[in-house]
Amino acid sequence: MQGKKYIMGIFKDEDQVVSTLAALKETAYKFQRVHSPIPSHKIMAALGLKKSKVGYFTLVGGILGLISGFALAIFCSTRWNLIVSGKPIISLIPFFIVGFEFTILFAVFGNVIGLLTQARLPSFKEVEYYDPRCSGEHFGVLAACEPMQQDGLKDFFQQNGGEVKVFE
Amino acid sequence: MSQLTYASIDQTILNTLGPPKKYYWAIVAVLFLGVLIGGACWVYQIFVGIGVGGQNNPVAWGTYLINFVFWVGIAHSGTLISAILHLFRAGWRNPIARAAETMTVFAVCIAGLFPFIHLGRVWQVYYMLPIPNHRLLWPNFLSPLMFDVIAISTYLTVSTLFWYTGLLPDLAAVRDRSQGTRKKIFKFLSMGWTGAHDQWRHYTRGYLFFAALATPLVISVHSVVSWDFALGITPGWHTTIFAPYFVAGAIHSGLAMVLTLMIPLRKIFRYEKIITSDVLENVAKTIVFTGLIVGFAYATEFFIAWYSQNIVEMESFRWRAMGDYQLEFFIMVVCNTILPLFFLFKNIRRTIPLLFGISLFVNLGMWYERFVIIIGGVAHGFSPHAWGLYRPTGVEYGILIGSFCLFFFLFLLFTKHLPSVSMTEMKETLEHGGSHAG
Amino acid sequence: MPENNSEKAVSKKYGSGWIFFGLIIIGLTAFIYGILSPHPEKAWQAYLINFLLWSAIAQGAVLFSTVMHMTKARWSGPLSALSESFAAFFPLSFVLFLVLFLGRAHIFPWLHEDLHGKEVWLNIPFLFTRDCVGLLVLYAIGFAYLYNALQLRCDPDHVRNGFHKFIYKGWIRNNRSPEEVKKKMTLWAGLYILAFTLVLSLIGYDLVMSMDPHWISTLFGGYAFVKAFYVGLGALIILAAVTQIRKGKASGLAPSHFHDIGKLFFAFCLLWADFFYVQLTVIWYGNIPEETHYVIERTVMVPWSKLAWTVFIVCFVVPFVILLNKKVKSKPVFMVILCSAIIIGFWLEHLLLLAPALSHDVHSLPLGVSDGLITIGFFGLMVIAVSFFLKRFPEITKDSQVRPSG
Repeated sequence: MQGKKYIMGIFKDEDQVVSTLAALKETAYKFQRVHSPIPSHKIMAALGLKKSKVGYFTLVGGILGLISGFALAIFCSTRWNLIVSGKPIISLIPFFIVGFEFTILFAVFGNVIGLLTQARLPSFKEVEYYDPRCSGEHFGVLAACEPMQQDGLKDFFQQNGGEVKVFE
Repeated sequence: MSQLTYASIDQTILNTLGPPKKYYWAIVAVLFLGVLIGGACWVYQIFVGIGVGGQNNPVAWGTYLINFVFWVGIAHSGTLISAILHLFRAGWRNPIARAAETMTVFAVCIAGLFPFIHLGRVWQVYYMLPIPNHRLLWPNFLSPLMFDVIAISTYLTVSTLFWYTGLLPDLAAVRDRSQGTRKKIFKFLSMGWTGAHDQWRHYTRGYLFFAALATPLVISVHSVVSWDFALGITPGWHTTIFAPYFVAGAIHSGLAMVLTLMIPLRKIFRYEKIITSDVLENVAKTIVFTGLIVGFAYATEFFIAWYSQNIVEMESFRWRAMGDYQLEFFIMVVCNTILPLFFLFKNIRRTIPLLFGISLFVNLGMWYERFVIIIGGVAHGFSPHAWGLYRPTGVEYGILIGSFCLFFFLFLLFTKHLPSVSMTEMKETLEHGGSHAG
Repeated sequence: MPENNSEKAVSKKYGSGWIFFGLIIIGLTAFIYGILSPHPEKAWQAYLINFLLWSAIAQGAVLFSTVMHMTKARWSGPLSALSESFAAFFPLSFVLFLVLFLGRAHIFPWLHEDLHGKEVWLNIPFLFTRDCVGLLVLYAIGFAYLYNALQLRCDPDHVRNGFHKFIYKGWIRNNRSPEEVKKKMTLWAGLYILAFTLVLSLIGYDLVMSMDPHWISTLFGGYAFVKAFYVGLGALIILAAVTQIRKGKASGLAPSHFHDIGKLFFAFCLLWADFFYVQLTVIWYGNIPEETHYVIERTVMVPWSKLAWTVFIVCFVVPFVILLNKKVKSKPVFMVILCSAIIIGFWLEHLLLLAPALSHDVHSLPLGVSDGLITIGFFGLMVIAVSFFLKRFPEITKDSQVRPSG
């Protein structure tokens, strides 16, 4: 993105952010992202985001877990291969417990893997274009523009009630 | 709630991470001493043998099992508050969710120590893992003790991951407001979280699944723990009500521990505006509910024991109420079902010292409930010739004290190093008075 | 006047009740024919199953409103009001219970058995007295709760009929203060929840578990009241869906209501299955013949094993798989079909629990046309009761809180 200028509008009020986002769509400036200290329904609705795919990871994890749980219990039991307390070697009623716990465990692993891969965490490199105030009480709307448009973008943010931060 | 702003929330909570007062160090030192005492007792037991405990024939399960069930129980209400109440979109959970979830993680860790302690020959703990031991034997998953291994490890893993995920945005907030070493540490811990909309999109979905998965997990884990007893045929143990009864009891004791922890925390850290007395009142009301369920279970067990007209069952329960451990039974019933009924009165619910006092009694009562169930079950079984009694020894008391000290020690360390109230969730409450269930 | 028109419209919609009166007649005829036949116990068995199922539905549905009030839940909206309409079945349920007395010789297998000391508990006078008192207390508390809840829903300026006047008097007595009414509602709601657990457990022990007098399960009471809430929620969803289909937007029901109650229904589906599994595992594992004979007869023996699998699949597997999907919950027609299937599943579940004790040594399921007809009669009774209530209190199907609440 050579030559592009990144400017962040920093707002204190969630509703201002929502109206700014709506207004930003009308302009030629390229919207990058919004930083917020809380997960805001209003902002996400305004952005019209698609549903996250994390759930698929969870589901796959859960199915794998169900199969592994039963498989582990059945495998160990067939290795033991002795009738204990008159119960069949492969008894599904108690093995269901093992299967259930593994379902939850692997579903959670899937959930975490999904969360990390989809949100692209952990990322230990320096985050470009971030203001530490955005984890406190401010919201940051990041937009990109051509170098000559930067004054226009700065004015746009100020008109909508935000402070301006220019990134070099 | 209305006087809170994002800034004041941040300020109040981040202030708690500053250098502690002198008495903090004194308390930590005392607790650490308690931990050392417990550790010393355990080491002594490893070298001399499990016989230094009071376990005997017939009472082979003593305070180690009581403590195990007690600590797993404490852990459950943390998950109730952070996961189940999240699904119900109950906003009053937000101020206490972080501390409750932390309580869960530490309580499960301590609970997990007890089967290990009770093992005696701790070097053989690997027998429990699904790897063939040196006699090429694999564990037998038909055993409820193996269910326990799986359930507790799952619960520990899931709770820790859930806790850490919840912490993530707060870790970023602390990172952005610190300097030097602390900034470096929190930079690492927050894994590059920036609060970008895309991150939040995946986060809220993932958190919702965490909550949805943790809920059945909570019910299954304490059901599995109850099955350690119920799947055997011992009278007083072999009864179908155990699973929901234990889950309700776990939540009961855990909520009481939440009150025991939150009330001093709130005072010391000046969280009065955040953990309001409304929140504490809601916890108290839930305690009434769980107390009634526990009371219902007690009554049902006695009724069905009589209804069965089975002489062994009837004797087992007669002895429980009127036998050698009558006092423990009395403590159990009064502390768990009668005292919480005082919370039906609004003035009592709003009086903080009374909340604290009654919560301590509930904790005591729930410990004694496990005593009555576990000891009372095996001490007075089928064969009168085999009836016996049990008394914990000094080593067991040492380990008991050690476990409580370890819990409070870890919790105190937590309160000074990590934000003990979730800043993110508190700010969300300001916006729409509820939690962010997607 | 617009109120009269809407009242007429409401009575027209629910006035096609003649068909339901017809169903009641059919049921009554089939029942009388059954008890006059050489095998009256078959008819009494069907009667008992229906009494238990439909009473549980009514009790469970009203529980929804009390629980929503106690937890100060805000999402339920008109659903709480709709659930209260099931209370109209309470008096009918009480009368139906009294009728059971007439069939006592054919219902209770332990009447002529040696009960080894249990006679103190299992004897007709004591059983009927305590269950009567229990049901009376439960229903009285339910009505007391309703008396207060309706004060907040009825518009005092439109006192229409005798019921309204009665409610209005109560509102005056409460100094027209919503806070006072809510305090009373909290008291009665709490008592109802307590009575629900105790009375349904008692009925479960007395009318279901005792049919095999030498079998015990401490969780049976809990199982009975979780079952009741589950079917009650199912019936509430059906009522809400039917109201939504008939009245559209005027019902005050939004897709979010269906979504939320669908989630609660799913949760109770899981809880019911959990209670079922918990009982099964403890009994299976302990392998004590005194306990296992009950379960073996119902899950392994012919002809009951197929019934057991049917019940499990209809009441758990199917709703579990279907309700995992988010969108399905807000489709009223589909939910009516699903919930109806589940209620039929629970009819079969009651059959599974009761019939092996009531009809020993059978080679095929003791299920016939007359059972279906008797069930239809009870269904008609329930519909008449609910629509009677909705006709008297049409505000229910509008946005419920007429006056501003605290």
